This record gives sequence, structure tokens and C-alpha cells, in this order.
Amino acid sequence: MKKKVLSAILSVAMVATLLAGCGSAAEEAPAAATEEAAAEEAPAEEAEAPAEDAAPAEEGAAGGGTYAFVSKSAGNPFNERQATGFEEAVKAIGGTAIIQHPESATADAQITVIQSLISQNVDSICVAANDENALQAALEEAAAAGIKVCSVDSTVNVASRLTHVNQAGVTEIGQCLMDAVYDITGGEGQWAILSATSQAANQNAWIESMKEIQAADEKYAKLELVEVAYGDDEPQKSTDQTQALLQNYPDLKVICAPTTVGIAAAAKVLQDQGSSVKLTGLGLPSEMAEYIGDDDAHSCPYMFLWNPIDLGRLGAYTSAALVNGDITGAAGETFTAGDMGDYEIVTAGDGGTEIILGAPFKFDPSNIEEWKEVY
Amino acid sequence: MAGKSGRTISATPDKSLKKALLSWEGMLLLLFIAINILCKCISPVYNLTNVLREMPKYLTEIFLLFPMAYILLMGEIDISVGSTVCLAATMACLSSNAGVPFIGVILIGLLTGTVCGMINGFLATRFRELPTMIITLGTQIVFRGIAEIALGDGGSISLTNADGFRAIAGKVGPVPYMFFIVIICAVIFTVIAEKRVFGRNLYAIGSNSRTAFYSGIKVNQMLFISYTVLGLLAGVSALFLTSATYGANTTTGKGFEMDAIAMAVFGGISTAGGKGKLIGGIISAFTITCLRVGLGQINMNPQVILIILGALLICAVLLPNISQSISDKKKKASRA
Repeated sequence: MKKKVLSAILSVAMVATLLAGCGSAAEEAPAAATEEAAAEEAPAEEAEAPAEDAAPAEEGAAGGGTYAFVSKSAGNPFNERQATGFEEAVKAIGGTAIIQHPESATADAQITVIQSLISQNVDSICVAANDENALQAALEEAAAAGIKVCSVDSTVNVASRLTHVNQAGVTEIGQCLMDAVYDITGGEGQWAILSATSQAANQNAWIESMKEIQAADEKYAKLELVEVAYGDDEPQKSTDQTQALLQNYPDLKVICAPTTVGIAAAAKVLQDQGSSVKLTGLGLPSEMAEYIGDDDAHSCPYMFLWNPIDLGRLGAYTSAALVNGDITGAAGETFTAGDMGDYEIVTAGDGGTEIILGAPFKFDPSNIEEWKEVY
Repeated sequence: MAGKSGRTISATPDKSLKKALLSWEGMLLLLFIAINILCKCISPVYNLTNVLREMPKYLTEIFLLFPMAYILLMGEIDISVGSTVCLAATMACLSSNAGVPFIGVILIGLLTGTVCGMINGFLATRFRELPTMIITLGTQIVFRGIAEIALGDGGSISLTNADGFRAIAGKVGPVPYMFFIVIICAVIFTVIAEKRVFGRNLYAIGSNSRTAFYSGIKVNQMLFISYTVLGLLAGVSALFLTSATYGANTTTGKGFEMDAIAMAVFGGISTAGGKGKLIGGIISAFTITCLRVGLGQINMNPQVILIILGALLICAVLLPNISQSISDKKKKASRA
């Protein structure tokens, strides 16, 4: 019947265009005017040439290399500052930066972006992972294609990376936040944590560390952690979770939000409601300036963060050092990160290696005005 | 006999090749070629190897397209299938980590999907007065809820032994195994839709479910089968998805249902039922895939890509309506 013939023609045509349309001579120069014609006539074996032979994706990449940064999602201010720093540092070393924000804050969306970067044959990929393990297959494929992989901010598992650029040691952050909770509560009472997604590796490590510190020292015995709530790094969900915490625990004294999205949402809820519950955690100065203060009108006495711009820059310098062969990602190696000075690779808690940016920085009423202009 | 949307009901085959090329599917095919040429022009690394390598993520969604198209053709919908994928992937990972041999892991993944599909099918046929949109909205939440409980604290599990999954993620040359399975499914589902009584009955049900019922078509049975098959393929999709992520988490499969529905609608299949062809959905699926791959390779912002896809989808729905109203006006004018 006609329809059968038609579907057959359509299917054949589809496969044919797939072969002809996509299958191009891999070594083709992007500027070639006859590209289309060449693409149509490309013999099959040429189309199957390995991706490594492909011309560099960016024409401006000459000499400097192409360094990619994959963030957790668009609209995450902390990630966007990292991207800014990454771009700055890549420019400083004369390379080309590719900054990609996946379409949603999921590992799946990051895999799509990573696969595309492998096609482009970039020199390095620096990723802030949405899931510790889910990127393994994609990143292994990248490594097999000769791409240097490191993670920044939120780590990927040991098998997926050469090294990780960590903002601060997990225990340092846990200790800082635990001390802040102890100080603000006055040493006793209920407190809660407002985190990001339940599978964010960095969040979970800090929360675990806080729990351990609380259990280990008699000093914290009168503090009671009532709940770990997850706002998924979405402003609305974080707001809802904060309201739920206030409703469920009338005696709550402090909320600790180790995430920039969560702390900003919680700060607004607490301050708008004139709640007596206080807030601390990790937040962006520019977003938190109006909530930081010692009096009752402000919801957050003080909070912490490191400089995400520096974190991004260190990510770029680490990528460059890996690409240049200055380091391989083994513990004990040292390298110079541009004007940031020398850094050493150390063994991380998960058995892999990491590079630590520095200790968290405290933002309080005395310095917030100055920092809110910075980031 | 042209439908309201301007797409012909395929019960009245047209013999001319010109007509075939001017049909929705023919235009889609031209669009597919145009998009490939466009991608080739804008991306220097757009070649067969890279497209096939980047394709698996989209292929996992195309599995869902086939039975979803059947369900849409009957005028029903299933928005729970993304959650089914999540639950099936979770169960497969849990059983794999518990030491079940890989063949058992596959069966558990497929069985989980099938059972979810059967639940949807049971609810959809038992409570015909409820819209399937609402039923599957409910099961969407329930299935993901169960998966989240099973995933436990942290909301994510990873495989302790991924060997089996690594094997199914394998390739013949540059072509992933999954690609062949998608093609086989495409052929089977297209033949059933076009050549078998079951397929023709889909259109009858979608055009008028009650008339179809009184004509002796087993409407409920067909609905139940279609939902069950969608569940089964959600299981297949979950297994291949797991082979790319070596684990499952609470966001696994998120948005798959909408992507599958979008592919079908872009392919000319009406959500009101009775109109469109599966082959259109399949061409549109590969068109969307190629477009996403190509735009991704020039590092276009993924948010902008989503906007482009959304705009294309609206055009795809609007275009036939506009051209239909123009030709209606012309007819009126010529009559007057």
C-alpha cells in the first residue's frame, strides 16, 4: 500500500539525512565556504573519524586552550559568581572560557551539557555537581577523550575527577556554623537546618560534620537539632520550608541555612514576620545586607561565606595546571594559581584529592556594607 | 476528509506523492533535513559520531513517545510516566546493590514499570468519569513519593557494581545499542498503528470513544494495554537511563512525560485524540534531538534552547489551524 511505501521512504530519508547531514569530514575547517557540499559527500569512514581529530571548537582558543565550567543551574547567584571568577582567570591566562548553566538543577541536565562539551573537544571541564555519582559515566567518557576533569564547590566522586577545588575544609565549616549556632542560641534550645537538595554532596557533608561536632562536645549538649529541611535551592520552596519550621517548632531559636538561596529566603520570612527566631549560615553579602544586624529588627546577626569569585578563579587555574601538565591531581603536588599564590593538593575525606581555598569568612554588621558591593 | 487541525485522518489514504510531501509528516521531514543543515552550518563539530554519542539521553525519552502517542491518539494522557521511570530506576538500583544478578535487575526494573502502568490503566478504565490527566497527576505524585521513600535519606543511590549497566550502555561502532532498540520499537509501533486493527481502533476511540464502544471495540481493554505498555517502556527507559548515571535520585526522569508529549504534539498528534501519525512523532523526536544537540554544541544557553523549543511547539500547533482557516476563507470567497 501507498502508506507503507511512504513510511519506508520517510524512514530511509531520515537515516540518509542523518548520515549525510551530520556526517561530515571531521577535520573540516569551520570557515570553509563549501562546507555543506563537503558534508554531503563525506565518505562514511570519514564521518566515523574519532572526535579527537575534530577542529578546536573555538577559533580564539589558539595557544590558551578551551576551559569549560558547568554550574549547578542558572539563577544560582553563588554559582554565577564562580562563573565570573572562572571567566576572569581564563582570560588572564589567555584561554577561552565556556560557561554553561544546565537547564535545570539536575544531574541529567548536567550530563547533556557535558556530552556537548566532549563533542567540542574542550581541554578541561570544571563542574559544580548536582549529584556526586550520577555524572561518573559522562565524566569518564570525557576523561577517555583526553579532557581534564575537576570539580569545584560541590564534588563528584573520586572515579570521576582528577581533583576537587574545595571552598573550605568540611570540618572547618561545620565548626564555624556550630559555634555560630551555639553563640546565637546562648548555648541551649532548639535549632534547625535549612539545606538545598537532599543529594547535594557539599550540603550533606557540612550537615554531617555539624551533627558530629554537636555530638562530640559536652558543650553543645543543651542544643537540640529538631529537623533538617530541604528547600531544593528554590526560593519558594525554601520560603515554604522556613514557614513550616516556624509552625512546627514554636520554641525554635535558630535556623542555620548553609545555602545562599535558602538563607536569603529564610531571612525574608523571619524579618517580615518579625519572628524572634534568628538565622545564620552561608549567604551572599549582596543578598543578605538588609537582613544582617544585631538588633531585633534584623533576622541574621552574622553569617559566613568564602569568596565565590576566588573559588571560580582557583577552579580555572587548577584546570589550566591540569591541562598544562603542571599537576596530575595527586596529593602533595603544588602549583601557582596566577596572582592567588601557591596551592597544594591534599587528600580529601572521600579518598580523592582536593585543593582548599581557605577558611570561611565572617560577615557581620561591621563589614557587610563594604562587602555587599563586592558580590 | 480534513480534520479541524488541517491534518488528514489517515483512514483516507492519499495516493499522490506531492500530497504526501505537503502532509504534516512530509513537512516535518523537510524540517528535519533543514535543521540538520542548519546545525551543520553553525557547529563545526556536528557530525554523526558526536550526534550519536550525545543522543542516548534523548533516546531514553523517545521510548516513551511510542505508547504515549497511542494514549494521546485515544484522547487520553499520562503525565505520571516520568515518575514511573524514577521508581523503576530506583528499584533496579536497589536490587542491583542488594546483589541480585543483572538479569534479575532488568526484570525488576521492567516489572516495576509495568506494574505502575497497570495501576494507571486500572484506574483509567475503572473510573472512566475521571479525566486521565487527574488520575495520572495523582499517580505521578504517588510513584515519585514511593521512589523518594525507597531512596531514603540523601535522596540518591549509586550502583556499587555498575558492570551490567555498563554493558547495556555499549556501542556498535559509534551507534549505541539503545539506538537499535528504539528503531525496532519505532517499526513495531508504527506497523501496529498503521496496519493492525488495534491501531485503527485507536483512531476510532480518539474520534469518538462512545461510538467506538458501541461498535464493539474493547475500549477499556485497549486503554489498559496501552498504559501497561507505556509502563513497560518506562522500565526500559529507566534501565538505559541508569546505565548513563550509574544510579538514581529524586530528580531521575523529571520532565520526561512532558518531553514525550511535546514530541508527539510537534509530530502532529492531537492531544484531543484521533488525529496524527506516529511516524510524525518519531520524525519530530529526532528533529528536536538534532536541534538540541546542534544548539548545545555552539554553547547556546540551555534556557534559550528551551524557549526556542517552546516557540516551535506553539507554531506547530498554530500553523495547521491558521492554514486551515485561510483555505476555509478562500473556499467561502470562491463560493460567493
